[in-house]
Amino acid sequence: MNPSSTQEIIAFSLFAALAVASALATVTLRNPIRNAVGLFVHVLSLAGLYITLAAHFLVAVQLIVYVGAVVVLFVFVIMLLGPGSETAPDATGRVPRVLGAAGIASVGIVLASTVRTLAPPRPDRVPEFGTLRHVGEYLFGPAMVPFEVASVLLTAGIVGAFAVAKAHHHKVKMNTETNLAPLKSDAVDESQGDHG
Amino acid sequence: MIITLGHYLALSSVLFTIGAAGFLYRRNALVALMSIELMLNAVNLTLVAANRWLPAVQGDAGTVSPPAPSGHVFAFFVIAVAAAEAAVGLAIVLSFYRLRKTVRTDAADMLRG
Repeated sequence: MNPSSTQEIIAFSLFAALAVASALATVTLRNPIRNAVGLFVHVLSLAGLYITLAAHFLVAVQLIVYVGAVVVLFVFVIMLLGPGSETAPDATGRVPRVLGAAGIASVGIVLASTVRTLAPPRPDRVPEFGTLRHVGEYLFGPAMVPFEVASVLLTAGIVGAFAVAKAHHHKVKMNTETNLAPLKSDAVDESQGDHG
Repeated sequence: MIITLGHYLALSSVLFTIGAAGFLYRRNALVALMSIELMLNAVNLTLVAANRWLPAVQGDAGTVSPPAPSGHVFAFFVIAVAAAEAAVGLAIVLSFYRLRKTVRTDAADMLRG
């Protein structure tokens, strides 16, 4: 066994174990901030797996978009919600819980053992494969139109996120003359109601 | 023993199953969104692994050029869609929390007749 394949096995096993463990932590732990930390470790270990697959450009994208934006967004929302982000555990019995876990595990095992046997010969890596230049030339060549459509999608996403998150405030403002007016009139109504 | 495409695909299917299970089982809207991210990441791993096993292109004059990085570009678009989805999804969670003071997905029954 040559040293490069030993290194490869070590890197793959390490990142694979980390990815599975952090994925389990993401879906099973009760505290949302721990789920977010699980997701953080998960996207980092996937970036490690992309290194073993010589996808240099995607490693950078994964780190910037997932670690830098998506996980931070999750943490911000958990911070904004505070204790409200946690939900009480379900009152599910032990038997359905165990049966459900066994069913899911069997699906995973069958799926994994089916694709596990695929072992086509791996072609030697051409030095420029997966580099910024290689992917960039494809992205701005054959994939030019979808790339531009993706930017439209992201713009729509930003506008949509603003619209959805702001909708409640907007409705309050529409119903009243000013922001403070409903509070004052409500207070007056209540005090009148108390006296009457 | 060498690492084959099967290893990556098996790992990716295990990760996808974990994500799907989390999405189906957990009632917390935040964890449901995180499970969607897990599933999208598992698919990305499949795309990138398959692209690594694409044979190189042999040119006329004996030159060897790398295969088209279509799997990488697909994964790139999936990441872009996942980012937009996370932004809109979290905005919906925030807006839902203002309405119901909880992030439990089974509290979202306002459209029930």
